[in-house]
Amino acid sequence: MNITAALGFLWDYRLALSIGLGNTLYFTALGLAFGLTLGFLVSVVRQAGHPVLRVIATTYVEIFRGTPVLIQLFWFFFCLPAILGMELGNVFSTVLTLSLYMGAISSESFRAALKSIGAEQRDACVALGLPARVSVPYVILPQTVLRAVPTLLSNCVTLFKESALVSAVGMADLMYQGQMIADSTARPIEILTATALIYFVIAFSVTRIVSFYERGYLARMRL
Amino acid sequence: MGRYTWDFSVITANWDPLMAGLAVTLQLTAICAVIGLIGGFLVCQMVMSRIAPLRWVAIGFIELFRCTPALVQIIWIFYCVPYFFGIFYDPFYMAILALGMNITAFNAEAYRAAIQSIPASHYDACTALGLSPLKKTIYVILPQAVLMAIPVLLTNTIGLLQQTSLVAIVAIADLMYEGKTLATQTYRPIEIYTTVAFIYFALSVPLSQVVGLCERRLRSRLA
Repeated sequence: MNITAALGFLWDYRLALSIGLGNTLYFTALGLAFGLTLGFLVSVVRQAGHPVLRVIATTYVEIFRGTPVLIQLFWFFFCLPAILGMELGNVFSTVLTLSLYMGAISSESFRAALKSIGAEQRDACVALGLPARVSVPYVILPQTVLRAVPTLLSNCVTLFKESALVSAVGMADLMYQGQMIADSTARPIEILTATALIYFVIAFSVTRIVSFYERGYLARMRL
Repeated sequence: MGRYTWDFSVITANWDPLMAGLAVTLQLTAICAVIGLIGGFLVCQMVMSRIAPLRWVAIGFIELFRCTPALVQIIWIFYCVPYFFGIFYDPFYMAILALGMNITAFNAEAYRAAIQSIPASHYDACTALGLSPLKKTIYVILPQAVLMAIPVLLTNTIGLLQQTSLVAIVAIADLMYEGKTLATQTYRPIEIYTTVAFIYFALSVPLSQVVGLCERRLRSRLA
């Protein structure tokens, strides 16, 4: 295959691909913002909420972690509007699904981080006579966030990758644009490889950041 | 509008295609899970080998499959492998190829993390006892590595079960595909998608309970 011709061909479709990438990033960013907030709230509820709320939160997490994202998307696209009897809009359904999925997986990360804080830390707070309004923001929260960051960042990568599924319900993300160009030009090799590379470059850079952070963090913990 | 009348007779009427789809899903999951368990260990050995080129190939393989969406991998393999290698197998085997390589990459990381979690004191003890490298690997490292990796390997397998739903996009008649087809044929998407989601859920939940059990037992063993 001629590399120059392939690059020229890709260059012709740069606009379509960048629109797709823009949409992918847009859906991912919205999903992250809502999902992380939801995930944190859910983890707190599961840790310290009312028993009824706890059961609801656990069921929610199990359902969204226990079913494929693809079926979640289909369900929120085709079933929820019919049940509610109103139009929800494509973007709304997409962002809703991605946020709920992200909320479920990130709540597990937050929960693991909350659990990993040793009981001796709480004991020390009691021994020092720190009230909860001091011990929570100054002792528990910073450690939780520090410990949760690596897993949360990998959750972000997961969401970014899963967002490719929205192409299956016709949202014009990077994957969708790539497939459309591949189908209409009958040149799948160049365009699909380029699409895969774009996903790879972004996801790979984030995972590098995660491992750098982990190394720095681990080094600090050993001090 | 607003009130939706549920009619689950559509499920009983179309029970056979749904079960046929489920059989395909389970076959795909089982075959790829076995590939992943064996392949993952081999790739992990490559990553930890002393021969640098072997290590680079393995790391490249892992990063490539971990940092691109599974959907992109499946579609890339469907379109581009026949072109590059001049082969085209039955779609089912192409799906096994894609999903098998995906789970192999994830399992390799799980094995690697498990091997790295073995404390340095064990290696020191082996040296002190004068065990040969082969004996050390077989009797000390391997049993602990497999044991430690079990929860993550099982989690990856649950992920695999859900990833298999992606093959519906390339028209392999798995559970998701049958569900999609029935939903368009019968105009009953709500009942069908809900049932399909429930089947995936019912398969995932027992597996994730086993993961929890394994983790608790491992923790009490190590404590």
